[in-house]
Amino acid sequence: MKGIVQTTVAVAAAITLSGCALSMQPVEPWQMDNLARAEMALQIDPQLAAYRSHVGFSKEAATGGASVSGGGCGCN
Amino acid sequence: MKRRWLLVATWVAALTATPATAMKVGETAPMLSAPRADGDTLSLESLKGQVVYIDFWASWCAPCRAAMPELDSLYDQMRGQDFTVIGVNVDRQREAALRMLEQVPVDFPIVFDPQGKWAAQFAVPMMPSGYLIDRQGTVRYRHSGYRPGELSALSNKIKALLQEKAP
Repeated sequence: MKGIVQTTVAVAAAITLSGCALSMQPVEPWQMDNLARAEMALQIDPQLAAYRSHVGFSKEAATGGASVSGGGCGCN
Repeated sequence: MKRRWLLVATWVAALTATPATAMKVGETAPMLSAPRADGDTLSLESLKGQVVYIDFWASWCAPCRAAMPELDSLYDQMRGQDFTVIGVNVDRQREAALRMLEQVPVDFPIVFDPQGKWAAQFAVPMMPSGYLIDRQGTVRYRHSGYRPGELSALSNKIKALLQEKAP
């Protein structure tokens, strides 16, 4: 029993300290500008991302693969 | 042993804690204060006895921007009748708010709440959100979001509240 309690406490502490706790504060509606900041973008440089996508497209001679739509079948 | 279980229970309670719910109609508005652009402080306490519409807005919020001219027109129509609008800006950078106000100038008073204290007290559910407060300081109507023409309904509610006697 003692071991179970110790393990539970240890796991709880580990999860909490690792930042994975469910109580992590959500972004409030008035803080949404944080998500709109440039450093929060999945692609930091949209121009470079577009360029890389174009290079990929040229090499593969197919659309798609970089996003959800298009299967890369080459039937563009 | 009991202490350990208490610790675990506390931890579980902390994990499952729910965020604050938005301020409901019928609740008393918190008597907050915040700085204006000119450095003066505007407090809700000083507006008791008036009908107040508090609009939460930000420069990054497109619907907030769209709502501003309509709110301003509402303010201009009723400003002499114990009614005022307060625009609570929640931008972290005041410059961003001032830039937007240059593009969309308004007559109603603006206060700056970069820490989100007002927004947290009202538990604003979305941007923009507005709260119509009666002469006694009670929230009588809550409005979330914005679509063109929506604020005409607000005008009728304000008129009804203005008919009520001052405390």
